[in-house]
Amino acid sequence: MKTKFLIGILAVVIGIIGSVIVLASENALVVHPKGIVAQNELELIVVNIILMLIIIVPTYILLFSVVWKYCIKNEKAKYDPDHTFGPIGELMMWGLPTIVVIVMAIVTWDATHELNPYKPLESDVKPLVVQVVALDWKWLFIYPEQGIATLNYFFIPERTPIHLHLSADGTPMNSFWIPQLGGQIYSMTGMTTQLFLMADGLGEYTGRAVEINGEGYADMTFPVKSTSAQDFADWVELVKKSPSHLTGDLYNELVKPAVNKSTIFFSEVESNLYNKILDKYMYPTEPVL
Amino acid sequence: MRDFFFGKLTWDAVPHVWYTIGGTVFIILAAIAIGIYLTLTKRWGWLWNEWLTSTDPKKIGTMYMVFASLMFFRGMLDAGMVWLQQAIAADSQGYLTADHFQQIFTSHGDIMVFFVTMSFFFGLMNWIVPLQIGARDLAFPFLNSLGFWLTVSGGLLINLFFVIGGDFANTGWLAIAPFSELEFNPSVGVDYLIWSLQLSGAGSLLAGINFLVTIIKKRAPGMTLMKMPLFTWNSLCAMVLIISAFPVLTATTLLLWLDRAFEMHFFTIGYAGNQMMYWNLIWMWGHPEVYILVIPAFGMFSEIVSTFSQKKTSGYVSMVWAALTITTLSFLVWLHHFFVMGAGPNVNSFFGIVTMLIAIPAGVQVFNWIFTMYKGKINLASPMYWFIGFLVLFMIGGMAGIFMASPPADFQVHNSLFLVAHFHTMIVGVALFGIFAGITFWFPKIFGFKLNERLDKQAFWFWFAGFFVAFMPLYLLGFMGAPRRIDHYAAATGWQPLYITALAGFCFILCGIATQVYLVIESIKNRKQNLDTTGDPWNGRTLEWATHSPPPFYNFATVPYITSHEVFWDMKKKGWEREKKYEDIECFKNTGMGIYISIFAFLLGFGIVWQIIWLIVLSLVGVIACIIRLSFDDEMEYVLPAEEVAKIEEAYHRG
Repeated sequence: MKTKFLIGILAVVIGIIGSVIVLASENALVVHPKGIVAQNELELIVVNIILMLIIIVPTYILLFSVVWKYCIKNEKAKYDPDHTFGPIGELMMWGLPTIVVIVMAIVTWDATHELNPYKPLESDVKPLVVQVVALDWKWLFIYPEQGIATLNYFFIPERTPIHLHLSADGTPMNSFWIPQLGGQIYSMTGMTTQLFLMADGLGEYTGRAVEINGEGYADMTFPVKSTSAQDFADWVELVKKSPSHLTGDLYNELVKPAVNKSTIFFSEVESNLYNKILDKYMYPTEPVL
Repeated sequence: MRDFFFGKLTWDAVPHVWYTIGGTVFIILAAIAIGIYLTLTKRWGWLWNEWLTSTDPKKIGTMYMVFASLMFFRGMLDAGMVWLQQAIAADSQGYLTADHFQQIFTSHGDIMVFFVTMSFFFGLMNWIVPLQIGARDLAFPFLNSLGFWLTVSGGLLINLFFVIGGDFANTGWLAIAPFSELEFNPSVGVDYLIWSLQLSGAGSLLAGINFLVTIIKKRAPGMTLMKMPLFTWNSLCAMVLIISAFPVLTATTLLLWLDRAFEMHFFTIGYAGNQMMYWNLIWMWGHPEVYILVIPAFGMFSEIVSTFSQKKTSGYVSMVWAALTITTLSFLVWLHHFFVMGAGPNVNSFFGIVTMLIAIPAGVQVFNWIFTMYKGKINLASPMYWFIGFLVLFMIGGMAGIFMASPPADFQVHNSLFLVAHFHTMIVGVALFGIFAGITFWFPKIFGFKLNERLDKQAFWFWFAGFFVAFMPLYLLGFMGAPRRIDHYAAATGWQPLYITALAGFCFILCGIATQVYLVIESIKNRKQNLDTTGDPWNGRTLEWATHSPPPFYNFATVPYITSHEVFWDMKKKGWEREKKYEDIECFKNTGMGIYISIFAFLLGFGIVWQIIWLIVLSLVGVIACIIRLSFDDEMEYVLPAEEVAKIEEAYHRG
């Protein structure tokens, strides 16, 4: 009995140490945020976990001490087959979780409004607008103000709010996720959603699709790079020299389902492309592209 | 003309890849082996008369158990294949193609939810609910048989793609639109999924109606609603959920099928289809569904903890209201499955907060389970092991659930392996552990002997330890940004060691399953040592323990008057003895009609999947003809005279 107990304790300790090592490593993206949105979401996660532990840890202690004390082997324990706690005890059992849930509800209401993905981020810098289109199975990023676009590559200036408009074309539902910068939002064909993100500093991250959409699902990832504002401006100039132009015809080629992990920079983009993509599904009988 | 006779069926549908050939060969060999065994032992007649056509809920319950166990092996095979792929597919494709991988986790989900967990629960309810409420049969014995056989026909249809078709849906268990639309999924895989769910859904609905009416109308005299045992109460709640939610599933998947078969545009991405509507509808059914899977387990644990603590249930009234609260709230939370769809913060926080409210009744239940043990005499028999294991996991899973109920937190774990870990904690830790505990607990009642205690505890430790090794890494992987359902990944993500750990945990669980198989064989072999001659092996509290083990087919020779929700405990305190006053009992005859209708329903499903028009017409006519034939059957009941009852009872008393 005693050895079994020790083995159990040892297993728990190994498990906890292993978990801590994993969570401490840089690979644990959600717990190592590099942007204000992900940072705020992590703080909320921690607050929620603490609130729940306040009630769960004592419950575990209660569970094991009751089992320990009233186990049939312990002959000294009092046996009262008709014992109940009565109305006041029951009221407390309803009341205690209710209090915790009320606190959590208030936190949730506030946080949900505060961290609404559509809510602009506070910053002195003017937001950079990027239009994201999920295709089967690649990501197209259009920078309308710069008049450029990229395939499978997301380049952003640091400490600048990024205002994303997301849609999809000819693909099932997708979820856009850059764990280190912030939470997900769906990108859906014929629909448009929005998301604000901001990188705190220079760095490289990974983004991906997080909703099953077929053969190329696992490969639908893209690198994200945040640089200084100056480097970003230089990069835009560089892209503008690229020989590739994203014309309507080329776009129609891109829409066709294919696993395509190549990075392409487009120096020119079909005018008003994002809205035309949306219009395809508003007026299905008229060719818009 | 070709379309009329063969529909979409072509030579491509015959097995031609390793897993469909393997599956087909296995199915054919198994059928031949069973056929030979039955012929050699001359048991065809016995099987047909004693089992397949039976309307006795205890026998139908046992058949549900056998069916669920078989499907459980299939589901576990899928689980193993998924885990093996993910353990080796770092920077490589692994041994499965993306499409095949996706088909495997889809069938894993559907089989485990519809054909394993639900079938196990229906089995346990068939075993116990009539006994607990002092009923001699269900309200509609024929519907019970039909419901079971419809479930079986659904189970056969979901496995049929091995033999004919070769493709299953690759959409995830909910056939999520628009991915399940013809545009993205032209093969018949999704149709197989839709129609096996239609068949088994019809079966579940019939069973749901049957149990609801049984519990409402067939309780023993004196048993008011607030004197019902908690398992019956929780079953009632689950049945209310089934009746309210399953029509939504039927309608939603039917609309999806209309999209696919007739090019309608309910959920397509173009032509004004609304993909988001599918998500709302399917989760309006889907969330109640997951409570259908856990609420009966709550009831079983309430019975078990009170029996093995030799103590009254703490807060019976609270427990009833907690179950009812969970039942109601489960219809108001569906949107938490897609907080990231871009609904505004008001909508999101409403659904988040309602989800958190479920923590209140769940907390009440946890406290009351613990306080039932307080001042009790806890006998740590194996059902109690499962119970304590369940409480430990339930609190972890519940915490993860409330965690995800907060929309901004969910943005970071939505569709990640964290979610996968959460619902497996609930389905394995609550539903499956409940099923294992329930089977161990009620096995002696149904079969007259106990299961081997030592082996059951061993199996528990394998499952419990295996659970942590298999699923804790998934929680961590969620925090590492690992999405669910990916067939390969970059090694630089650092996920592989955790996937391998999870696979090791799966092997632990496999050992647990092997132990359970051995446990059943060993217990049957040595049943003489574990016979239950009293009918009350655990010093039970509710009515089912008042009859013999195994109970006669009419359950009770005399139905006692019910004075409390622990009536047998009270009866024993007053010094109880079996009455020897016998009366005529009305019994229900066996009928093969449930099987015939289900065969036609199966053919109907097959015909619709392949769009074979003559088969659809023929099988529809067959179903209708069977029902008409049945309605002319005036003598479905017979009366068992009191003398016969006396003889059967005397035989019990002689031992």
